Amino acid sequence: MALHDWALIVFTVLAQMSVGSFIVLGVVHFFAARKAGMEQADRLSDRALLAIVPVLALAFGASLLHLGNPLNAYRAVTNIGTSWLSREILFGVSFAVVATLFALLQWRKIGPFIFRTIIAWIASILGLILVFSMAKVYMLPSQPSWNTLATPITFFVTTFLLGVMAMGIAFVANYAYIHKKKDDCIDAQCSLLRDSLRGISIAAVILLGIELVVLPVYIVVLATGSTAAVASLKMMAGEYLVLFILRVTLGFLGAGVLALFLYQNASSVGREKFIGYLAYPAFFAVLAAEVIGRFIFYATHVGIGL
Amino acid sequence: MANQMAFYFNASVCNGCKACEIACKSKNNLPVGRNWRKVYQYGGGEWVPDPLDPAFQKPNLYAYAVSVACMHCEKPLCLEACPAAAITKQENGIVLIDADLCIGCRYCQWACPYGAPQFDEETATMTKCNMCVDEVAEGKKPYCVDACVMRALEFGELEELRQKYGDVDAIEPLPPSNITHPSLVVTPHRHSQPSGKGTGRILDFEEV
Amino acid sequence: MSKKDFLTKTLTETLLSRRSFLKWSAALGGTAVMAGGLNYGLKTASAAADAAAAEGEWITGACWHNCGGQRCLLKAQVVDGVIQKIKTDDTHEDTDDYPQLRACARGRSQQQQVLGADRLKYPMKRKNWEPGGGKKELRGQDEWVRISWEEALDIVASEFLRIKEAYGNEGIVELGSTLSRPIQMLGGAIKTWGTTSWGTWYYTGPFIGLGDGLSNTSNNDRLDMRKSNLIVIFGGNPAWSSQGNAMKFYMDAKKAGAKFIFIDPFYNDSAMVLADEWVPIRPGTDHPLVLAMAHTLLTEDDPILNPLIDWDFLNRCTIGFDRYHLPEGVDSKENFKDYVLGTYDRMPKTPEWASEICGVAPYKIRALAREIAMTKRVSLLTAWSAARTNNSDTWPQVFMTFGAMTGNIGQSGRMTGVSCWERTANGGNQFLVGSGGSGVPRLEDEAINMTVNNNELWDAILTGQYTKNATEKQDVNIQMIVHDGSSSLNQKVGMTKGIEAHRKVEFVLTLNFVPNTNVKYSDVVLPVTTMWERVAYFKGNREHLIWARKVIDPIFETKDDDWVAAELGARLGFDPMVIRPLTPEQIAFNQLMGCWTLNADGKTKDTLVTITEEDIAELGVEGEPQTGKISLQEFKENGIYAVPRGEGDNYTFISHQAFRADPEANPLKTTSGKLEIHCQANADFVNGKGFTTIRAIPTYNKPTEGYEDTFSDFENKVKGDFPLQLVTIHYRRRSHSMLDSVPWLREAFPQEFAMNQVDAEARGLKQGDIVKITSRHGAVIRPLFLTERLLAGVVYLGEGAWAEIDEASGIDKAGATNTLNGAIPTGQGHQGWNTCNVQVEKYTGPIELLPDFKWPQRMPVEEA
Repeated sequence: MALHDWALIVFTVLAQMSVGSFIVLGVVHFFAARKAGMEQADRLSDRALLAIVPVLALAFGASLLHLGNPLNAYRAVTNIGTSWLSREILFGVSFAVVATLFALLQWRKIGPFIFRTIIAWIASILGLILVFSMAKVYMLPSQPSWNTLATPITFFVTTFLLGVMAMGIAFVANYAYIHKKKDDCIDAQCSLLRDSLRGISIAAVILLGIELVVLPVYIVVLATGSTAAVASLKMMAGEYLVLFILRVTLGFLGAGVLALFLYQNASSVGREKFIGYLAYPAFFAVLAAEVIGRFIFYATHVGIGL
Repeated sequence: MANQMAFYFNASVCNGCKACEIACKSKNNLPVGRNWRKVYQYGGGEWVPDPLDPAFQKPNLYAYAVSVACMHCEKPLCLEACPAAAITKQENGIVLIDADLCIGCRYCQWACPYGAPQFDEETATMTKCNMCVDEVAEGKKPYCVDACVMRALEFGELEELRQKYGDVDAIEPLPPSNITHPSLVVTPHRHSQPSGKGTGRILDFEEV
Repeated sequence: MSKKDFLTKTLTETLLSRRSFLKWSAALGGTAVMAGGLNYGLKTASAAADAAAAEGEWITGACWHNCGGQRCLLKAQVVDGVIQKIKTDDTHEDTDDYPQLRACARGRSQQQQVLGADRLKYPMKRKNWEPGGGKKELRGQDEWVRISWEEALDIVASEFLRIKEAYGNEGIVELGSTLSRPIQMLGGAIKTWGTTSWGTWYYTGPFIGLGDGLSNTSNNDRLDMRKSNLIVIFGGNPAWSSQGNAMKFYMDAKKAGAKFIFIDPFYNDSAMVLADEWVPIRPGTDHPLVLAMAHTLLTEDDPILNPLIDWDFLNRCTIGFDRYHLPEGVDSKENFKDYVLGTYDRMPKTPEWASEICGVAPYKIRALAREIAMTKRVSLLTAWSAARTNNSDTWPQVFMTFGAMTGNIGQSGRMTGVSCWERTANGGNQFLVGSGGSGVPRLEDEAINMTVNNNELWDAILTGQYTKNATEKQDVNIQMIVHDGSSSLNQKVGMTKGIEAHRKVEFVLTLNFVPNTNVKYSDVVLPVTTMWERVAYFKGNREHLIWARKVIDPIFETKDDDWVAAELGARLGFDPMVIRPLTPEQIAFNQLMGCWTLNADGKTKDTLVTITEEDIAELGVEGEPQTGKISLQEFKENGIYAVPRGEGDNYTFISHQAFRADPEANPLKTTSGKLEIHCQANADFVNGKGFTTIRAIPTYNKPTEGYEDTFSDFENKVKGDFPLQLVTIHYRRRSHSMLDSVPWLREAFPQEFAMNQVDAEARGLKQGDIVKITSRHGAVIRPLFLTERLLAGVVYLGEGAWAEIDEASGIDKAGATNTLNGAIPTGQGHQGWNTCNVQVEKYTGPIELLPDFKWPQRMPVEEA
């Protein structure tokens, strides 16, 4: 696989993770604020929010590597009318700008809460449209292994799965950071951490479940599809079988086994440190699974025709 | 498009000699690795015991050649896909890439089911068959057409070619025509298989 | 690849890119400035692109290779001395009767050969060469040293004189002809005898009363061929071997209603388009098939109830078919009919007998015989390939016999003979247009007349002995090999021995424009011009005459062969004006002046070109004005003269027509004046050479390394060490060995080694595997291509790749087929390329095999 294909893997996975993280963070913040008040909620999520910005930057940096002619990149939004790639770039840039803006506002607490909330909503909607556009980019009639509902579904699953897992470690890291500094309000953050990680664990398992439902259906769709679709499937079941099994195993391990452990450990007080030990491997297992999954996605596409 | 220009290809006479492919390379100075026109062979089948003497194997085979360039489609997916609006369809239906606008993202390559857009490493832009617009502007024919030793290629207005040769626009290994509606008229080879329903494979030996 | 491996210096940019192409073109365009010898003033790509906007001039460039095609029309667009692009015939409207002469992929790639990165640019000598040879074993792996023309010619002249002095003229072998004038003046050199492409048709064809297929054809012309109802082709694949219009002519016949049957081990690309039926057959076994078809007709024929045999034709026009029609004094048992029926040898040549050898089912043999016999007008055609098999001396004879039995000779829509090379699908011995002679007088100097069998040459060099005739072996001491316009080392059977021979002699000289195999194993190499850099080249086919002109000036230090001959001659002490009495311009003018065309009456000739006083003055040549059909300007612009054809015109040719009507009044040029089924002349010729022994009737003579030899025990069908049959097919990338290094062609035609899936599975091989193909004579490695289109047990590899021998293992990685083909001398000196037994296995050795189009070009002398 050439460099420009790796660029695409990095871009799509990281961009989706950013969108997922942003939205998950919003949801967690909402519940955290209801439970422990705005201040505690902000303490839980503000650093995590700022962490999204460099990830976004990395994603878009990678996307430029994919172009043969990066200096002309600005032209990439000149065909919004028909090109989903143009739309992807438009919504990608929009999401990045608005999300970054929100992060800055939220960090510095600039503007009234309601204003920031509206910005957050706009960013979230842009993010969701971005993920949808990303899926549409690949839903080409000439690419049967991409042109199925599985593409948007798995893109959204990736978005939220990486979003929850990334936020999981963000919270764990945040907690460790706060814990080191001062002791006074550990209990509030501590319970928020446990609550959010429980929620994250449940979400991960549900998302994994969706993935495990989509996968066999996808295989059946390919198997009964055109010659090109069958050729893609043969590649997955052939030269990429080991990777494919690795991807499923890692996903199952991260979003299944480790997530359940996480849930279990997040349910009882005093195991916060141990949660950290679980959250990191769970995240990296899922990240690896998604990267491998995306690699297979690109590697096994076989176009119709020539 | 009223006066859509198109290629006609007669699979029943093409012997796969690749004169068209090389004529195109010479006309357009294409290096190794880029073929705006490319000839494929498609075929398959098997040897079976001869029903009249089962001690012998009888060939039950088929093979034929297909010469493929840009189809200058009615619905060019490359054009729709291009994020930079670098691909345009001319009044006579010829689909062109403007290298000055191209950002080299190669997305059109994925969108096109004919392998028409090809990346030029030197300029980092996409290139493809331009139906010899320069020649056509002078009332001449594309180089590939005039090169064909078997007279399997023709060039003209799509409607006229359809009236002359019928409306088949896809055989294996070409993609089904409903994807892009190619400006192509094909006379099938006696062994031609319908697009998307082939039992054979592309026979060319590709070195990698 | 070590740095010492002299020919394989890797270029950063190995393949000719657009930029380097333009660079090259620009360098050659006269605008180039030479500074420090090698630094060319180059146009930028954009400047060249601007130039492209201008129309420039379309110059007809030669397509001069021995391709088997029809010498097609190529025109190069040259703007400011830079070649822009190539087009082909657009000089008149294209119709079936009067078609344009369109060029093939090879011709259209010519610019990449003429301006290839690997063009030979300077005279050079082998680094370790010394008078007498130096380290001779380094030939093929030594480094090259650029030298001046002065030094090069001095070395060559002194070696000629030294070797003549030491060993006589018999110490020199000349494998080409461009230096033949100075060599003749020096007293001559050994030449080879035998045939190349023809197989056994060259000698046997004329002996029995058919054409050899080139200088003389036995086939009707293309317009008459449309009247055939059935066209049977043995071993023909014009789509690969005779490009140009040949396939179109066959297609015209098909459109007119002819059914096509292909008899071939390979369902080839011609069959793909034309064949209504493919009869797969093992290589080298056409003879038993035809004998069995003859047996079928003989046993089933009933003159009244089931007339299958044209007895009238056999009785009137042939000799030797049965005991009642034999030449005087011949044993009555020595006739074809009794041989086929097994009257005396108790071995009837039944379809069952033949089937065991050729692999065609007996019922199919019978059906084929009946179909041919019962169809009204049949063309029985064969390419030379079936005769490029060992021991096939009488194959043309049995082929002719079957044609005679079915009466398919000498009438409209009926013919029997070779349809091959530039005469494919268009017979006719009277050309309709042609050029004049050069005006260069023949030399009268006495020269030795000593020839060695093609297949015995390398052995003669290695062993010091050759077969003079049936009774005499003679000593010979060859110490100098001259490759003056040949590709002999690569293109003669037994290359492994050939390389050994090249490393044994004291001096090897090559004149060439590309670093082919001859060059690689030479001591001194002289770079010559291509036809695109020469004043003129006249060539055509039956209906066309092409006048190709100089497209570009000679590049670098290349010189015309004639110039080299004259300069060398001067150093040998001869008058250069005798060697090269006329300038290239005058020779071209003489040829032009002599151009003629056959008038519409089909009988009388007219001068073709009108030449005025002004023309002569402008050309600066000597000659008289003349009046012809077209002006010099028109001919120059078109580059071609095409004789218009139409159905029923007087140019229509039906071979043997007068002979068939009245054989007594129109005898053939055979001993008996008839078609000789019993041909003593052929037998005497072959037997007299001292290699093989044959009978005067066309018996099946088991070929060396044919199907039977794939067995260690044929009776019990036990396969031997070399169980597969190799055919060395004409390959589309090349014209024999020419054009092999052209990047576009390497990309388009990858030199695949083809095998049936059944044979591959039995060996655990899969598509793309690098396999080692081993014969009794050598080994090559190639990527494997699997195809059901080959008969199981048969494999093919395209002939002509430039050998690239791995010195450590002796394995050739280019897939040069003469590494595998052994030198097996026969009575005709023909080369049995299509009879060769091989084994195939997965290659597991250390040699790395890149795709051919990624190979570095051979660059003998680097740019400074």
